[in-house]
Amino acid sequence: MRKFLYLLFFFSPTILFSAGEYRCGLMECDNFEANVSDKASLQRGLSTYMNYCYGCHSLKYSRYKRVAEDLLIPLEMYEDNLIFNGSKIGELMEISLSKDDAINWLGAYPPDLTLEARLRRPDWIYTYLRNYYPDSTRPYGVNNKVYQNVNMPHVLEDMQNSLSVAEYDQVIYDLTNFMTYVADPSAEQRKRIGTYVLLFLVIFTSFAYMTYREFKKDLK
Amino acid sequence: MSENTIGKKSIDWVDKRFPVVDLFERHLSKYYSPSNINIWYLFGFLLLIVLVMQILTGLWLMMNYTNTAEGAFSSIEYIMRDVDYGWLIRYMHAGGASAFFALIYLHMFRGMMYGSYQKPRELIWVGGWFVYVLLCAEGFTGYVLPWGQMSFWAAQVIISLVGSIPYFGEDLAIWIRGDYIVSGITLSRLFAFHVVLLPILIIAVVFFHILALHEIGSNNPDGIEVKKHTDQDGVPLDAKPFFPYDITHDFYALGVFLLIFCTVIFFFPEGGGYIIEYVNYEPANPLSTPAHIVPSWYYTPFYAMLRAIDFPLFGLTAKFLGFVVMAAGIAIFAALPWLDRSPVKSIKYKGIFSKIFLTCFVISFFVLAYLGSVPPTETKNLLAKVFTFLYFSYFLLMPFYTRFEKCKPVPERVGEAA
Repeated sequence: MRKFLYLLFFFSPTILFSAGEYRCGLMECDNFEANVSDKASLQRGLSTYMNYCYGCHSLKYSRYKRVAEDLLIPLEMYEDNLIFNGSKIGELMEISLSKDDAINWLGAYPPDLTLEARLRRPDWIYTYLRNYYPDSTRPYGVNNKVYQNVNMPHVLEDMQNSLSVAEYDQVIYDLTNFMTYVADPSAEQRKRIGTYVLLFLVIFTSFAYMTYREFKKDLK
Repeated sequence: MSENTIGKKSIDWVDKRFPVVDLFERHLSKYYSPSNINIWYLFGFLLLIVLVMQILTGLWLMMNYTNTAEGAFSSIEYIMRDVDYGWLIRYMHAGGASAFFALIYLHMFRGMMYGSYQKPRELIWVGGWFVYVLLCAEGFTGYVLPWGQMSFWAAQVIISLVGSIPYFGEDLAIWIRGDYIVSGITLSRLFAFHVVLLPILIIAVVFFHILALHEIGSNNPDGIEVKKHTDQDGVPLDAKPFFPYDITHDFYALGVFLLIFCTVIFFFPEGGGYIIEYVNYEPANPLSTPAHIVPSWYYTPFYAMLRAIDFPLFGLTAKFLGFVVMAAGIAIFAALPWLDRSPVKSIKYKGIFSKIFLTCFVISFFVLAYLGSVPPTETKNLLAKVFTFLYFSYFLLMPFYTRFEKCKPVPERVGEAA
């Protein structure tokens, strides 16, 4: 028992907290539980992304075909409806907006968002997109509680105004869920394989233990 | 088995040309380990497995990695998305780095606890220490390769430490970087070190470490020299052959280790930001410094020491002194065999002061690890100073407390009373 406690003590990583301001700017992050096996939600999120975000924010580490296959969207339907710039389905999801134009029009080049859910975490995105507020001192008349003085206009403002709070929250949930998926598209496969690997290891370890115990008897 | 089977004949054939039987006996079936070694003696085997895993996964990563500033970041995402099972190989390699350090710290602590560095095992210890130093370099160079924000800024901070050396530091730092700031030139040379120079050195020194160990034999929790009592054939009485008795124990341990390791890489591959830092998912940008630059968890005790020294002394800058203290924190392990003047090896028989100081060392290691991973404040900086002092006092006061404390008598044989 004492040995076990020793081991537990040394295996458990030092518990580390970073003190200070909230991770979501002026507020606590809202709770967000991704569910990347909910394909319908991912499809809705993809459609919001392609229609509202993709004009400025590329997903340049991801490929159209991979997204279509993972989200169970027929390739032809995907090509007809969700590729706007004549790209081939196997290509990376780059955007047409040029750096110079973006800097002229917006003052900055909108970042690629493929890995945003890994960089800032999904709950940050979920909270951020739901916390724009009117602020006449800002160029677009809006500000954000999570990301103070952000350059990005409130692209979903019209949508937010025309939907109930619950409906808008659902749209953002689906969008964030999609971004969580696209940041780590192998997550589902990883967990499936992982389960089998652990099952195998339980069997391997049991046999290894029995072999060890058998030989140990010799030594008594 | 009869005398003339094919198997026997082929072994004979090889044996006349290369000493396979002798090697097998010397290192496995007639290599004896003390009968009282415990769970702490499993980590060496696990480290060897992790080393092999890192070399194999590293080889496969290298097949698809691009070592340029323009291509590095996206080549990692290419591996993660487009290469079949690339994500698995990459998570194994990243998780393997953390496992390597976790295991090597346990392995080193075992040596400190049971006095395994003492005569006649000084060279085994120093060899092992050298592997640890090389591993620190390997970990650092590998960390830079994904070319994310933390990769870039960690490299910038660490290499700039060299710049704090008086007189020629700045020139030396430029020579190391090959540029005025960390750049693609730096990336590709660190890549060369990471995949060629350092692994070759690590393999060579590990080979030396094991060869030296097999010459002397393992220490044990009682610190008894089991080779002193042998039967008429020269076989130690309080020992057992490594094959099959230890190897079966090692495989059982391997199973337990892999269960933990695979749970992490399949279900928590980022390790909550400690195995793969979240900030590193943003490509390196020399124009924007992240709010907190933190090294990987396994370097944080030494990073805390670096930051603890915030005052200049004797005309030397605080940065240079911090660098010296940090390097000393790593280097001082090598001196252990000569700092310990105790007549006994194991902590079991050492006196109260050895026990107190070893406990202080462990506590300060953990506290410094914590302090090195959080943004500094005035209180935390003071704590870092106190615990850096405590950390070094374990080593520097050792010649005194080990000589004057009262030790318990060590039994002559395993399982006997003294």
